[in-house]
Amino acid sequence: MTAAADTLPPLRADLVWTQRELLDRLARPGNWFSGAERLAIAAESRRADTCAVCRERAAALSPEHARGDHDRATALPDALVELAHRVRSDPPRLSRAWFDRIRGAGIDEGAYVEAVGIVALLAGLDFFCLAIGRAPYPLPEAVAGEPSRHRPAGARPGPGWVATVAPVDASGPEADLYPKLPLIPNITRALSLVPDHVRVLRSLTKSHYVALEDLTNPAVGRDLDRMQIELVAARVSALNECFY
Amino acid sequence: MHQREVDVSAVNGRSEADTGVVNGAELVAFVDAVMGADPAERDRARDTLRSVSSPEAFVDACAVVGAFNVVDRIADATGIPIDDTMAVMSGDVRRELDLGRFASAANSPDAT
Repeated sequence: MTAAADTLPPLRADLVWTQRELLDRLARPGNWFSGAERLAIAAESRRADTCAVCRERAAALSPEHARGDHDRATALPDALVELAHRVRSDPPRLSRAWFDRIRGAGIDEGAYVEAVGIVALLAGLDFFCLAIGRAPYPLPEAVAGEPSRHRPAGARPGPGWVATVAPVDASGPEADLYPKLPLIPNITRALSLVPDHVRVLRSLTKSHYVALEDLTNPAVGRDLDRMQIELVAARVSALNECFY
Repeated sequence: MHQREVDVSAVNGRSEADTGVVNGAELVAFVDAVMGADPAERDRARDTLRSVSSPEAFVDACAVVGAFNVVDRIADATGIPIDDTMAVMSGDVRRELDLGRFASAANSPDAT
């Protein structure tokens, strides 16, 4: 560790708040998983970083090439272990066929979305820590309670592989999901089968990137100007080979 | 608003490109190092970025790295297509950067 890296810079209050909220929510019961199960999914996803099968798959020409059992951290069902490891370690080569296999292994659509959200949100936190030069945040203790089993009444198939709540259908408990804007990007509604994931994602986007309401305003930036922000964002996405 | 020419090829890792973005080379090198596997390179790139940026700007950069590691995974794991409006607006840039080579382009068949 270099001398400069010994000293972590102070974090904006909104960053700290969002990250703490994200971790707290991880530990609480969700729609389809208990707090303990959600944390297990989170822990399992971190294990992907040292999993030999994940390493072999990432290096292989085809993601179907690697064989063998994941180096697992939990007693989660195999399909959830595979989801946690693949979304963490090899997201650009996730396919509809892979999704169908996971669903076919008994993972409910809502549970799939909840697990994806957990893995993705934690990956973001962990990459933030890697970038800033600190150890990953420890996972909190699970909060007792049962999952809500809530599936939004307004959820309809598409636009991707899972059902989502379109802005026009966001009512009742989901009335607050989206701001009143002419365009709500698909990424914002992608996890809407688990509405709290949308709320956390909006908060994270606002504090870590640009608020949804300001996306189309090129003048909006922070100490990093908007051009710099977009360059960093685009380079991350290029390295992640993410077309979206 | 003042308009600047920007070389988008830096997005694809042409690190010698003059991006036209202030500290663009340091930002790209930082992202590459964070997303890479070499801890020593990560430390070097972090130090370099911190030497040319305010502490707040450095934190902003780290935050964006985190945010896009979230949204990229969500997009890829849910198969969402690019929005119609964005597809139209970004067509030239997407072609210039040859984004259609990514496997996830299959989720947006109308945009490739």
